[in-house]
Amino acid sequence: MTGNTTILVAVILFSIVLIAWLVLRPSITATRGGKMLAFVALLIFPALAGGMGVNRHIERSKSTNFCRSCHVMEDYGKSLRVDDRSFVPATHFQYNLVPRDQACYTCHTDYTMYGDFNSKLRGLKHVYAYYLGKPSQPIKLYRPYNNRECLHCHLGARSFEESEAHTKDPQALSRMKLNQLNCSTSGCHNINHNVGQLKDATFWKEQAK
Amino acid sequence: MNTHPTKIERRIRLAGILLIAGLLVELVTLRWSHPTAFLFFLLLGGLLMALGIGVYLLSLVSAENKPPAE
Repeated sequence: MTGNTTILVAVILFSIVLIAWLVLRPSITATRGGKMLAFVALLIFPALAGGMGVNRHIERSKSTNFCRSCHVMEDYGKSLRVDDRSFVPATHFQYNLVPRDQACYTCHTDYTMYGDFNSKLRGLKHVYAYYLGKPSQPIKLYRPYNNRECLHCHLGARSFEESEAHTKDPQALSRMKLNQLNCSTSGCHNINHNVGQLKDATFWKEQAK
Repeated sequence: MNTHPTKIERRIRLAGILLIAGLLVELVTLRWSHPTAFLFFLLLGGLLMALGIGVYLLSLVSAENKPPAE
């Protein structure tokens, strides 16, 4: 349990104790002190616990384990451990180019003003599809992968700006930055999760630290 | 001594029970790392807590609390 979760659990338990006291002895609210206690126990603490809970759930929904906890995502999680550098997500995961505990979220959120909010809305839609609808097989992105998500980290990096493949054509870099030349579908970095190839793949076994 | 709870006391008791139920839902979903937990927390826990707070606020503005007319 992380520090934040411990504090949240403490707030919830403390709220429950205060509220239980009021439930058992509601007559104490007749006094001035009792009214103040009721205000804190029935409004301030629950609102605080609720707000902290929303924050905690949203933070946790960014974790790789959270994404992999749905059956339909298992193969995508496995693809992060393919022992082949041509698999772009696997390379990012295994070489720590993205934080491993937030690997999915780092590449699959929109780096826009409401990107976080939109990705959570899409998540609710996925839960609906999981239980009440039918997830598409294979899973597809809503729209072609936007270079913006790659450039969030790679823009300005020497490996990106000075790469021979990127500078051979003088127009290429600017077209990439404008999302006119797609990184993942233009034939350069097109091996992504490729879950159909997993049965023949070998996997990286992480050494214990 | 009058042991009958007043209307405001009954509402505070109901608000408390709803809030405790909502907080327990929150506590359980914190231990469960799955998208369904998020949904349970948001829909069930959120609803119970909102109802609890609503009942408490209603008890504050209920007619019984108004000062007697002179």
